[in-house]
Amino acid sequence: MSYTEEELKKELESKEYEYGFYTDIESETFPVGLNEEIVRRISQKKNEPQWMTDWRLEAFRIWQQMEEPDWPNVNYEKPDYQAISYYSAPKKKDQYKSLDEVDPELLETFNKLGISLDEQKKLAGVAVDIVMDSVSVATTFKETLAEKGIIFCSISEAIQEHPELVRKHLGTVVPPKDNYFAALNSAVFSDGSFCYIPKGVRCPMELSTYFRINQAGTGQFERTLVVADESSYVSYLEGCTAPSRDENQLHAAVVELIAQDDAEIKYSTVQNWYPGDKEGKGGVFNFVTKRGLCHTRSKISWTQVETGSAVTWKYPSCVLKGDHSIGEFYSIAVTNNFQQADTGTKMIHLGNNTRSTIISKGISAGKSQNSYRGLVQVGSRAKNARNFSQCDSLLMGNACGAHTFPYIEAKNNTAQIEHEATTSKIGEDQIFYCNQRGIDTEKAIALIVNGFSKEVLNKLPMEFAVEAQKLLEISLEGSVG
Amino acid sequence: MLQIQNLHAQIEDKPILKGINLEIKPGEVHAIMGPNGSGKSTLSSVVAGNEDYEITQGEILFDQESINEEDAETRAHKGIFLSFQYPVEIPGVSVTNFVKTSINAARVAQGLEEMPANEMLKKIREKAALLEIDSKFLSRSLNEGFSGGEKKRNEIFQMAMLEPKLAILDETDSGLDIDALKIVANGVNTLKSKDNAVLVITHYQRLLDYIVPDYVHVLFDGRIVKSGDKELAKELEAKGYDWIKAEV
Amino acid sequence: MELKEQLLASFIAFEEGIDQKNPVHDKRVAALAYFEENGFPTKKLEAWKYTSLGKILKENYTLYPQVETSIELKDVKTYFLYDIDTYKVVFIDGVYSPFLSDTTHDGLDVCLMSAALSKPKYAARIDKYFGAVAPATDSLTALNTAYAKEGAYIYIPKSVVAEKPIEIIHFSTGKNAPIWLQPRNLIVVEENAQVQILERHQSLSDAPVTTNSVTEIFAEKEALVDYYKVQNDRETASLLDHTYISQEKNSHVSVHTFALGGNIVRNTLNFYQKDEHIMSTLKGITLLKDQEHTDHSTLVHHAHPNCESHQDYKGIFGGRATGVFNGKILVDKIAQKTNAFQQNNNLLLNDKATINTKPQLEIFADDVRCSHGCTVGQLDEEALFYLRSRGIPRKEAQALLTYAFASNVLDSVQLPSLKKRIEDSIAKKLGVNLGFNL
Repeated sequence: MSYTEEELKKELESKEYEYGFYTDIESETFPVGLNEEIVRRISQKKNEPQWMTDWRLEAFRIWQQMEEPDWPNVNYEKPDYQAISYYSAPKKKDQYKSLDEVDPELLETFNKLGISLDEQKKLAGVAVDIVMDSVSVATTFKETLAEKGIIFCSISEAIQEHPELVRKHLGTVVPPKDNYFAALNSAVFSDGSFCYIPKGVRCPMELSTYFRINQAGTGQFERTLVVADESSYVSYLEGCTAPSRDENQLHAAVVELIAQDDAEIKYSTVQNWYPGDKEGKGGVFNFVTKRGLCHTRSKISWTQVETGSAVTWKYPSCVLKGDHSIGEFYSIAVTNNFQQADTGTKMIHLGNNTRSTIISKGISAGKSQNSYRGLVQVGSRAKNARNFSQCDSLLMGNACGAHTFPYIEAKNNTAQIEHEATTSKIGEDQIFYCNQRGIDTEKAIALIVNGFSKEVLNKLPMEFAVEAQKLLEISLEGSVG
Repeated sequence: MLQIQNLHAQIEDKPILKGINLEIKPGEVHAIMGPNGSGKSTLSSVVAGNEDYEITQGEILFDQESINEEDAETRAHKGIFLSFQYPVEIPGVSVTNFVKTSINAARVAQGLEEMPANEMLKKIREKAALLEIDSKFLSRSLNEGFSGGEKKRNEIFQMAMLEPKLAILDETDSGLDIDALKIVANGVNTLKSKDNAVLVITHYQRLLDYIVPDYVHVLFDGRIVKSGDKELAKELEAKGYDWIKAEV
Repeated sequence: MELKEQLLASFIAFEEGIDQKNPVHDKRVAALAYFEENGFPTKKLEAWKYTSLGKILKENYTLYPQVETSIELKDVKTYFLYDIDTYKVVFIDGVYSPFLSDTTHDGLDVCLMSAALSKPKYAARIDKYFGAVAPATDSLTALNTAYAKEGAYIYIPKSVVAEKPIEIIHFSTGKNAPIWLQPRNLIVVEENAQVQILERHQSLSDAPVTTNSVTEIFAEKEALVDYYKVQNDRETASLLDHTYISQEKNSHVSVHTFALGGNIVRNTLNFYQKDEHIMSTLKGITLLKDQEHTDHSTLVHHAHPNCESHQDYKGIFGGRATGVFNGKILVDKIAQKTNAFQQNNNLLLNDKATINTKPQLEIFADDVRCSHGCTVGQLDEEALFYLRSRGIPRKEAQALLTYAFASNVLDSVQLPSLKKRIEDSIAKKLGVNLGFNL
């Protein structure tokens, strides 16, 4: 008899999260809890200048006065912020100068993650910065990049080496008071990536950061700052994984992008934090603030494939300040089992002749809840703003939910805004058609989902697209067509 | 190749097929004709393994083995191809991608390696040329926004790619203009050999001018009530189905 | 005294004028407690994100005038569908006007809420329906319930087709200015019955008036209800309108809202589907200028399989006007085969006008067809040029295109007399006299 959906479900549920291993590396972890002293110690540990310490303390004070938001369409037990350790770093002797010096255990971790730091990547032309728990552990190809004047390093290093650049831009796009998690991040971020592309330079390779939460009981608060100077171009990739743990882990990152006049930044994320098990136990709380500022004729493009995390709260946004600037958001968000995602974007049109495009594909399976929340805002002085938004939801099985909350605020009569949303399911006739052509049900679902997500997958850099496709298949295991 | 013995099938407790007997040998072309609602499309769905239908009695043998319990993809791997009356749209999946997935699924099932990309490409070009299909067409989403004729041509293109032992053409002529019909028929005839067989299901005789059957069967109320050669089809066309009804 | 305090304080005086033993009174008391706890909605509430009541709550209102004021029919004739025969329930400053009304008890009831609330023969029905669909957790609705006393009561018995449309008209004269009105309507349409109803609020002077209105509509099996709201009031008149509709199997209910003016207008329109094969239709044209503000907040709750809903709202905003469309489609897990459609198209006529729109889908069932579309744009310059090149002046050409933009909402209006009236109002608001029918 044929392979039933029930059998498929069973088989797939037993498949484990592929990246759920834990690396046994000796690390140094702060005691749990958060107070001014901890903030000072983080700053001290990183040997930061006084202005940085003050900046963190100010953010901490702001955070103390804020309340955790409850407007997103997600339910979770709010983390006890005094039960988290705010600093955990693999113990190390000195800064790694080359990969040979890196702890073999660590390199093994990266191999398991499918990140090869060897020649292959060099051929593929990807420079990688790796952030494990809280600290950047390896940045490759620094020298090749340096020849072009490109700075690509950990943010800690940037604070030491390029304080003027960091000080000038840090918090200008996402100020500490922006929201609860941004304030928390500003106070306690321990590392992250920094990237600066000088005027007129086209970055010759993809820049990539891999984030990993390894240690138990820690939160990860990384900070990414990308500055593309006039007429420059950079494509930036970000990948995330975490071990499988029963408790929830908190990830509250801030990403700031600045595209100066005529610059272009393409920022792609494949987020695969541990989503929790099939009972909904454990998993990462992913509360992230990502925003880009576009100056004249510049372009920022966010592409994300979100398959992980127990709870996601994330709205990569563009502030289209300069005339003729362009913002794009392409997203695939997959939720399965008990995952909850409330994700989308904000396009703030301030300059004249600004354009934005939003393509969001939500796929819900299992008992998950998947929400798109987006804002398109056209200021009263923004002439000829254009926006096109399309939000499609695909439901698999009858225990999940798909929700669409688009906010459109237009104050200028030259604006043209179009929003469309649809909700559908995978048809039994589609599955039978595939079956008749020899394609089994599991593969058929993958094929249909890939087709549904195609417009977004196409926006990813090549090597990421393949990875993302695989990830989609893995994430939808256990779902019923 | 295909033997259908006393086949009874129903959908949601409603009997549709009430004892079908049919044997198709390699190299043969059979046509099944019948009025609307006689069970023609049900027969093709049941042979292809659509689980909406329940077999209540009888046996379907393919290469001497019963396939009653096989699922649709296994039947496809064994070499049964159904050209759908209403091909389904799959947005975002290109024709090429779909065909690749389909061919490789069959190869993997047979323990073969996946087909090398260059070989695949060559084959795609060759078969597309046979059916006068433009290369732009191949990168469009499967059946999405296709005209009726394009859908049917795409079905025959897939058949050409998959090279089945038994091809069931379910109302392939509906929605085709005469030029498209000739192209489709030419495709089918070119692919015809002594080792494979074709089962044409149609309401009208028109297609049978181009794909000439060795046997013609008349299906009425879930049973084959009359069999003959191609002359029977002409007779049906001339007289309509009423005389059959009267005979029964 | 703040309005909230004033409202709470005057409840005792209000109670003296009514029968406190009536079971409805318990509902009033409970509702007042809810209002006391929650007060007026503020922009902090997601449902009120784009509408502030601050401005209108500052007035020093007369709360429930008791004085009968008379007006001459000739002065207000234009607000009625005077060219066709209708039943009429008319109120002046919240008080029933027998002179302007034309009620009936002949085969159906078109009469007063105050009568229905007090006479024993209506008690069973009041007990079954009053407050049965209006949510207890909405503050303004609770406030209305607390003071519910007067309004229209309409009852269409089984298989009766109301032969004439029914008009519910509330006039305010300005003699008690400023005035706060709280009409409460109850409409019960029994199995296989049919009715057409028009509701209008009209201020006759420039004195401020705010109406906090609640209407409950019950459409039983196979019932057919067409409801029209005409909102074309002065810039000093605000309307907080709440319409709650409960639908049974195979019933069809449509509500058309023509928001053509007023100060702050908020339309809360909720449909609750209680069985299968129900059709709910929500349509609206909003045409605003100056400082006008209209907020449409709709909900269609699909709670059973095989139902449909169709929403189509067109908005045209000039001057410094603000439009809000906040539409929600909620599909429960059990509501398979739901077919829900929502469309909101907006035109901004200048750079001072604002539109905030938020079409939402909340879907918990997988086998559904749900979609929404939303646009913000301008008139097509090319089309405008085409019309002008044929000799139609710019203003008229704009009006024609604007009308074309909104016209499909009028297609489903079943009363030709009303349709004509709305067309005229649109032309007037657009400042054109086309000399031909739109």
